[in-house]
Amino acid sequence: MPKLDFDIITLGHGSGGILTNKLLEAGVFDLLSNPLLDTHHDGALLNLTGRVAFTTDSYVISPVFFPGGNIGELAVNGTVNDLAMCGAVPKYLSLGFILEEGLTMAEFWDILVSIKGASERAGVQIVTGDTKVVERGKGDKIFINTSGIGELHPKADISVKNVRVGDKIVVSGNIATHGMAIMSVREGLEFETTLTSDTAPLNHAVLALLDEFGPAVHLLRDPTRGGVATVLNEIARDRNVGATRLGIDLKQAAIPVLDEVAGACELLGLDPLYVANEGVFLAIVAPEVADAFVQKLRTLEYGQSAAIIGEVVAEHPGQVVLTSRIGGRRVVNMLVGEQLPRIC
Amino acid sequence: MTFHLHLTGQVQGVGFRPFVWQLARSMKLKGTVSNGADGVHIYVNADLQTVRVLTRRIRAEAPALARIQSVKLAEVEPIDFGDFTIVESQAVGQASLLLTPDLALCDACRAEISDPANRRFGYAFTTCTHCGPRYSILRRLPYDRPTTTMAPFGMCADCEREYHDPSNRRFYAQTNSCPNCLVELSLFLASGQCITRDQSNIIQQSIDVLASGRTIAVKGIGGFLLLCDATNADAIHQLRERKHRPTKPLAVLYPNIDQLQQDCFLADDERALLTSPASPIVALDKRPELPSGLVADQIAPGLNQLGVMLPYTPLLALLADAFGKPLVATSGNRSGSPICYTNEQALDQLSAVADLIVTHNRDIVVPQDDSVVRLSPVFRQPIILRRSRGLAPTVMMTDIPHSNANVLALGASLKSTFAWQLRGNTYVSQYLGDLESYDTQTSFRATLDHFLTLFDAKPDAVLADQHEGYFSTQLAHELANIWGIPLVSIQHHEAHLAAVLAENKLMEQAEPVLGVIWDGTGYGTDGQIWGGEFIKYQHGGFERVGHFAYFDALLGDKMPREPRLSALSLAFNIPGADELLRPKFTEKEWNLYTKVGVQNKLKTSSVGRLFDAVAALLGLADKVSYEGEAALLLESCAARYVRVNGYTTSQHYLPETLLKAQVPTQAIVAGVVNDLQAGLPVGQIAATFHYTLVQAVAAVARQMGVQQLAFSGGVFQNALLVDWLRYELEPAYQLHFHQQLSPNDECISFGQIAQYTLITTN
Ligand SMILES: [Fe+3]
Ligand SMILES: [Mg+2]
Ligand SMILES: [Zn+2]
Ligand SMILES: [Zn+2]
Repeated sequence: MPKLDFDIITLGHGSGGILTNKLLEAGVFDLLSNPLLDTHHDGALLNLTGRVAFTTDSYVISPVFFPGGNIGELAVNGTVNDLAMCGAVPKYLSLGFILEEGLTMAEFWDILVSIKGASERAGVQIVTGDTKVVERGKGDKIFINTSGIGELHPKADISVKNVRVGDKIVVSGNIATHGMAIMSVREGLEFETTLTSDTAPLNHAVLALLDEFGPAVHLLRDPTRGGVATVLNEIARDRNVGATRLGIDLKQAAIPVLDEVAGACELLGLDPLYVANEGVFLAIVAPEVADAFVQKLRTLEYGQSAAIIGEVVAEHPGQVVLTSRIGGRRVVNMLVGEQLPRIC
Repeated sequence: MTFHLHLTGQVQGVGFRPFVWQLARSMKLKGTVSNGADGVHIYVNADLQTVRVLTRRIRAEAPALARIQSVKLAEVEPIDFGDFTIVESQAVGQASLLLTPDLALCDACRAEISDPANRRFGYAFTTCTHCGPRYSILRRLPYDRPTTTMAPFGMCADCEREYHDPSNRRFYAQTNSCPNCLVELSLFLASGQCITRDQSNIIQQSIDVLASGRTIAVKGIGGFLLLCDATNADAIHQLRERKHRPTKPLAVLYPNIDQLQQDCFLADDERALLTSPASPIVALDKRPELPSGLVADQIAPGLNQLGVMLPYTPLLALLADAFGKPLVATSGNRSGSPICYTNEQALDQLSAVADLIVTHNRDIVVPQDDSVVRLSPVFRQPIILRRSRGLAPTVMMTDIPHSNANVLALGASLKSTFAWQLRGNTYVSQYLGDLESYDTQTSFRATLDHFLTLFDAKPDAVLADQHEGYFSTQLAHELANIWGIPLVSIQHHEAHLAAVLAENKLMEQAEPVLGVIWDGTGYGTDGQIWGGEFIKYQHGGFERVGHFAYFDALLGDKMPREPRLSALSLAFNIPGADELLRPKFTEKEWNLYTKVGVQNKLKTSSVGRLFDAVAALLGLADKVSYEGEAALLLESCAARYVRVNGYTTSQHYLPETLLKAQVPTQAIVAGVVNDLQAGLPVGQIAATFHYTLVQAVAAVARQMGVQQLAFSGGVFQNALLVDWLRYELEPAYQLHFHQQLSPNDECISFGQIAQYTLITTN
């Protein structure tokens, strides 16, 4: 951490004046340095070819530091993963901060270091950014927005329109880990656990899979907020899927969940299918490549626990149906507001 | 002169045409009688006076199972009949019949299958005009052999003779068959391999398997039943393991009433129920000694009562007689799924549970579980716990104002039913199961489609609960869209109250009625979870005048599965409750859950959860494996105490006055905790708790100055509570309970219709 004559963020740091300059010049630019950022223009001039994917996401999380990471790497990985889910090679990110007055410089620095590390791991450059400061009480320490641009992988043809009956649903790793790790440190709900967030850049694994399986990969999604259940419901309900909507069948026994995560979910009465993930993606792939796809994925970073968890069916269009370990079939719905008890 | 009589009601499949034929012949009348989709049509040559006599005698002498709703008389163009004849059915008119439920094996048929000299000796599909399947095999209206799944079976010469012989019990019996023109049994291994179609051999092999402690699946009326030896603990244990059903009570099938009576106390009204054409499962108090060797604590752990029934089909009678001992009989389904009713389903889904599958080639159209009924011990108040085979789908004329509306109601979720008011009748489907299950959703839709086809109509409006997460609510939205009709949401507890009001013809009276609506969960208009409601009904309007004080609803659907969480929610702040609560949780759970409570925003007034809390505090159940388990255990515990001590308690856990008809939920729990700390017997505390609830009703009724009380909600499946209310409050108050419907959520669909008619009239 550079030597500074202040150790907490004040309103002045967002004024655009001398303090802002001090903050950025003293650390941010040096830390994240790359030729494009170093030009200090109002915007970055980029060299891109072919089809381009573009995405944005804002990150608000409490607590900001959690087991296995912090909001900084989440903000990089999240946008990198969104690009990867389009079948794109992530290239450039923008970085916007909204800081709350009172954030310590030490915390901010830790976050910046994480951002640097994450962007290096993902192989992306941060090329433009912005910083604002809001009054104490009007933010939750720090909010981050990142936008990302990537070039489409030449073999990628990712579209919900490609999904058809018989396709297999693959999950790249254990589900619900991130959400339960966060839950375990949430204020007032702390419980003892060794769980850490699984936040990770998934682009390398995805691109390796696209190299090998190309258009047999029909759809990629990262089941973040709302978890696997919500994403699969969105897919099942998507009216773009062919002429009619499709159904999805899941096998509970096939869904990888760490024992500790399953235990924590049971403890809180939560269904892991609805819990958020960060380092996990869902792939819908042609049935003929499904086994090879999973085999390959298991050799890649973050893919060791990959599994086929279900398939696309013509039955029950618009619905996701889970076959439980003991054979019962349950409809996995969209969540309606907060989880309400149902039993009379 | 020629007159036309049009009769509506439950007039088909009950021997009505043969009855009219005989009556007309005895009166020397000429004409015809036939079934139409809209009822029975009679044409007769007679003068007005004679026709009036005929009408009167039809009403007075109709077959016991018939229920005549209306008779329309009109003079028509003269036709000259040479004779009185039964003519084939015509699909005339708009379908507006009451559907005849399935009818249990009658005594005459039972005697025939047991008589070696009879040609139907040992024949598993013996029926007559008084018995056999009806609703479950009906594909279309009007009811006639070709419109049922008996259609593919021809009759042999002997059966034809019976069918056309007016003096025969099988005169115009549409389900008639015999060993020469048989419905064919077949026996399968769990592997799906058919071993035999030889009828007598099948009974013997089944008995051998049962005797060796294994399980068989048998196709009944509404679906497959799983049977095993009820005197063999290992057999029952194995069945429970295979069905993933650790503690939920299992029904027992006795071969005959004598054997049943040796194990259970049986009053006359209970006997009448057991042997009625509906032949439901009846919950009876078991005797201290069970001569049959029944393993009661495995069959109904922790309960005083057993759910028992008698063979209601010839096949069950043959099996039970041959086995000679009571059999466990539970519906054949995959965990959480509806009962299997096709041969394919059975072979697919029951192979993991049953060692042998006994099936046949008469199809079931409408799947149904066995109905379950109990009578309160003192006041003999009938309580329907599940309304299905033999009772569904007909509802008797009830007091729904402006019943000409054509409206479909999709009910709730856990105990799903739908109801349809059409052409002046209200049909309430059989219990269709828990809509959380995909297979239940499928069968719910299929049953609904079947109704739409039977009556060849579509509703003008569709009704749903206010809980947006219910499948039934989502389906209602979908149907409203497809048909372009309005959807109306009805509050859960108002639907409960409307149901019990309509059943008791209270909707149009001027005097106010206090609805006491207690259940587990219903979506409240304030976004909270209601379940301990006092709702006043007057002049067609509902007003929530009081409720049980809110407490924390913790951890979603985990709370009803774990009564200890209700105990924590309600007793946490009570001094000294710690030592009762603490041992129910691990340290990790305790640390977490005590914090969850602080953060929690969702509140409930559920009496179901209050029962859970008390049961957990008394050490009866910390976690449950079936819905209502804790409440049943608590009732059983209190009932044992009351049986010895009578309704003698005067102590209760309420403060002297209630503020604004609010029942102080926590104070009740504090009373329980106090008595526990004072070392009072658990049974006494359980009884005092029941009495407290009675006093809560009394206190609110007093405050409201209302004399008419109506009770609905799953809590009123509790027979001890029902009796105690009547014991304490009658005759100062008039108490009204459900009659034909269950107080649980099965009544919601009907209540939605009753409530809707009020909305639309006011
Ligand atoms: Fe209810
Ligand atoms: Mg995102
Ligand atoms: Zn009979
Ligand atoms: Zn025959």
